[in-house]
Amino acid sequence: MRFIFITAGKELKRRFNDPGGLISSIMIPFVIGFLMASVMGGGGGQSSLNARLLVTDLDDSFVSQSIMRALSQDQIADVIVLESVTQEVGDQRINDGDGSGHLVIPKGFGQAWLNREEVALELTVNPSQYVSPRMIREMLESLLDLGDYLHKVFGEELKIISNSLGGDELVGISTSAFSSNITDKVSGIAELVFPPALEVEDVTPKPEGTTVGMALLMLPGVLVMAAFFAANGQSSNFWIEKERGTLGRWIASPNAFYSFWIAQWFTAMALTAIVAAPIMLAGFLYLGISFEKYFAALGWLALTGPILFAVLSLIQVLSPSKKAGGMISTLIMFPLLMAGGSFFPTETMPPFIATIAEYTPNGRVIEPLKAYLIGEFGASGLFSNVLGVMAAALLLVLLSGLLSARKALA
Amino acid sequence: MIEVKDLQKSYGDLIAVDRVSFSAKAGTVFGLLGPNGAGKSTTISCISGLLKPTAGSIAVGGFDMVSEAVKAKATLGIVPQELAIYEDLSARDNLTYWGAAYGLKGAGLKQRVDHILNRIGLADRADDLPKEYSGGMKRRLNFGCGLVHEPKILLLDEPTVGVDPQSRERLFDLVNEEKAKGTCVLYTTHYMEEAEKLCDELAIIDHGKIIAEGTLKDLQAEFGGNDIIQLSGVFDVTLVEQAVAELGAEILSVNTGALMIAIRDGARNLSSVLRVIGETGADIHDTRLSEPNLESLFLKLTGKELRA
Repeated sequence: MRFIFITAGKELKRRFNDPGGLISSIMIPFVIGFLMASVMGGGGGQSSLNARLLVTDLDDSFVSQSIMRALSQDQIADVIVLESVTQEVGDQRINDGDGSGHLVIPKGFGQAWLNREEVALELTVNPSQYVSPRMIREMLESLLDLGDYLHKVFGEELKIISNSLGGDELVGISTSAFSSNITDKVSGIAELVFPPALEVEDVTPKPEGTTVGMALLMLPGVLVMAAFFAANGQSSNFWIEKERGTLGRWIASPNAFYSFWIAQWFTAMALTAIVAAPIMLAGFLYLGISFEKYFAALGWLALTGPILFAVLSLIQVLSPSKKAGGMISTLIMFPLLMAGGSFFPTETMPPFIATIAEYTPNGRVIEPLKAYLIGEFGASGLFSNVLGVMAAALLLVLLSGLLSARKALA
Repeated sequence: MIEVKDLQKSYGDLIAVDRVSFSAKAGTVFGLLGPNGAGKSTTISCISGLLKPTAGSIAVGGFDMVSEAVKAKATLGIVPQELAIYEDLSARDNLTYWGAAYGLKGAGLKQRVDHILNRIGLADRADDLPKEYSGGMKRRLNFGCGLVHEPKILLLDEPTVGVDPQSRERLFDLVNEEKAKGTCVLYTTHYMEEAEKLCDELAIIDHGKIIAEGTLKDLQAEFGGNDIIQLSGVFDVTLVEQAVAELGAEILSVNTGALMIAIRDGARNLSSVLRVIGETGADIHDTRLSEPNLESLFLKLTGKELRA
């Protein structure tokens, strides 16, 4: 056992003597995670995934104010934060990348809409963002569609309301006739819209507290991506040592061959912790996650992350050469990263891919960690399945040892 | 210290080592001499436990390499033909690691590493990475990794291939030092000068079989006291063969450019040889008279040159 730890120490020393691989294992996932989180709207900590819409209302009419009120409703406000600005300020802020979009409601928009004249809202979006501008555009299009239907049904009444604003009485119609008119129309369409034929009840369990940001959803995936990169480098060590002759020297020593593989497994644990620690530190600082969770999260990664090394090692020893092993493991690694939730959180995936993600080795590491960081369960819940994942990894490592024994001497 | 009996190693129909037997004693250097592909490395791989023999038995340090592999391996130090070092670890770290692999630890390990660094001449570069070393320095480190745990038996598989003359001499010194300490050294090479210089006993191996074995004197006696005359020039092979037969000498090799014969009392008979060969119309450019050596012995036994 002593020599296994000496070997793991030697492996770590080798990595530190050639730090390029370690640095890239940290930096590549960090950069990818940062970019992906930014593209998907960013959002840190416990705040929601919000798009910031700057609005310049040059019309200041009943219709334009109705649009502003509609966009400020609770459910929409969860995803779009509205901010009134002057046109100059709005243009400048979008140019500076501050905001997801700038909506200008032109002068005369309300009257034109009531008269069904051609008119357009002007929306300038932030080109550096991807998801948020789409959300704003779709929200506005839905709103305008709704407005169109309203106009078709209540167009005359809306005109009356618009014209009467500022006065005490409705202009051009008696109050009773106006009310009766609206009641008749509502009754006429009531059968179509009330009650709804289907009711959708959202039963997805929600964590207590506030909503979860995209960056927080991505953090576990990014950490596991780093572990994956480190594991990929480590998994080819069998071939490297064979080529260098050091594996032969090992076999000629009095040490058992399986202990070589156990040492590699321990090395993978240490490497996982080493590459994950700085990314996790940055993530915790950025997202404002309590550092009480830091060591438990790092421990979980260090103990379970080597499942990735075990899978890649098995691929390597089943391959006919180092080159083939490298190609095959890379070919498998990237789809696993995609499907397992490292590039995109499972929450953004179609349900069938999210289901697949649960059964990938990286998914097995990511999802419990994510749930722990979000607060769905505590450290005891996080570690409830740690032995299962470790046992699976150890089994695969020993299988690699068994399969590689003959190759080591060939 | 090393007992090899009827060792056989086959790969399908190919027999790489064919019933090889020999023994090597403590405090001696036993040479396994043969051309590339003769079966030397396969033999040494079986002795070091890297390959499992197809048949036969190997005992090192009194332990059977198959049934008592761990104990047997603990007595061995290996210096493989190809470098077997970590180029991304310093010389000191390499030696420390391989010392630990054989159970050394603490102050004893450190002392031993410092000692080996001095012996292999790398003390002043001990903390540099081997990727910055010359080929000869890497070879010396490779050698040191096999020595660091003070093995009773040292297996050296062509340790001087690709080594500069200075490093080669230093390696010879190291081998002689180990021998003087009582280590049993098994040394494979295809350089006959090395074998002649270092080995107390020799086995010549070709096509997986041992074709001659003994001390250098024993092997030289195979020539029955004959000397070797080597001529280079332009020869008519048929006429030369007839002329040499008339002289009562033995042709070891002949072609249109070179002739090697074994003849009793070579110094006295050299003028007769030159006259007879000259009468065949040969144009002789160069003449060399020597005592029988391993190269001439190998030529005599196999009909081909050792380095072919």
